[in-house]
Amino acid sequence: MDKDTSLIGDIERNRFLLILLNEEMYMDKIAKIAESMGKDKKICYVCLSKPYKDVCDELKKNGIETKRFYFIDALSSHYRKMRPAGNCTFLTSPTNLLEIKFAISKAVKEKKCDAVVFDTISTMLIYQQSSKIVKFTHEFLSEGTEKSKILYLVLKHESIPTEENERLIKDLNLFADKTIDMERK
Amino acid sequence: MVVDDEENLLELVRGILEAENFEVITVASGEECLEKLNDVKPDLILLDMMMPGMSGREVCEKIRANPKTKDLKVAFVTVAKFSEAGMGALKDMKVMDYITKPFDNEDLVKRVKKIIG
Repeated sequence: MDKDTSLIGDIERNRFLLILLNEEMYMDKIAKIAESMGKDKKICYVCLSKPYKDVCDELKKNGIETKRFYFIDALSSHYRKMRPAGNCTFLTSPTNLLEIKFAISKAVKEKKCDAVVFDTISTMLIYQQSSKIVKFTHEFLSEGTEKSKILYLVLKHESIPTEENERLIKDLNLFADKTIDMERK
Repeated sequence: MVVDDEENLLELVRGILEAENFEVITVASGEECLEKLNDVKPDLILLDMMMPGMSGREVCEKIRANPKTKDLKVAFVTVAKFSEAGMGALKDMKVMDYITKPFDNEDLVKRVKKIIG
């Protein structure tokens, strides 16, 4: 995979990044982002749109070493009882923002994660109003994760209400250090 | 006009500003603010950023997009900590000031007086 020096630079320089993704080549782009974060960096990966197992498989398929990832899966337990996994915390539901926030803070602290990746924040719109996600972001940025980089992946997806997604992007833009459109990468 | 979904905050700001002889209108949402602007033309709108429904950013954009309200003075009163890029966006929306909650009462009065002139 080619290294994208501008993406590496953007990730190095900024703490809170909003990354816009299209549905096409979605996983390739995520692999590219993971690659650009540095091989020595520990990543807390919050699975909101795909179960942890699928994300893990896709990352491996794209040549990304998943040992440095700690996953927070908000989806799988919602559908079936999950067996505990060493590199993943299964949450009861993707709708419980407090549980998500707590799990991330715990992972960042205990696993010493350098970055938190939300895949994807747009998916939350299926369960939450945009205003609640913005509030969650604000609290999340100011509590317990001060030393970690935060990457919000924003997906332009048919199942997500466009108007709400645009509203969310514009509001999150006020907090983000930089917004990167991966369609241009 | 003070726009905030927190009743206590509305009453607090009302009390502080009325004590300084300002006439204060309070509304609890962005939607209510825009509706009220059909009838009144406040010297300043103090706008919360994070409200259920329409956000402060959205309300401000709608104020700027309406020829009748586009020149109204707007300031944010919010717990939100904007990024440098976000501050640039506020400037583009012609936001006059950005007051952080919790605020100092005297500072709030001073800044309101400065904006209204």
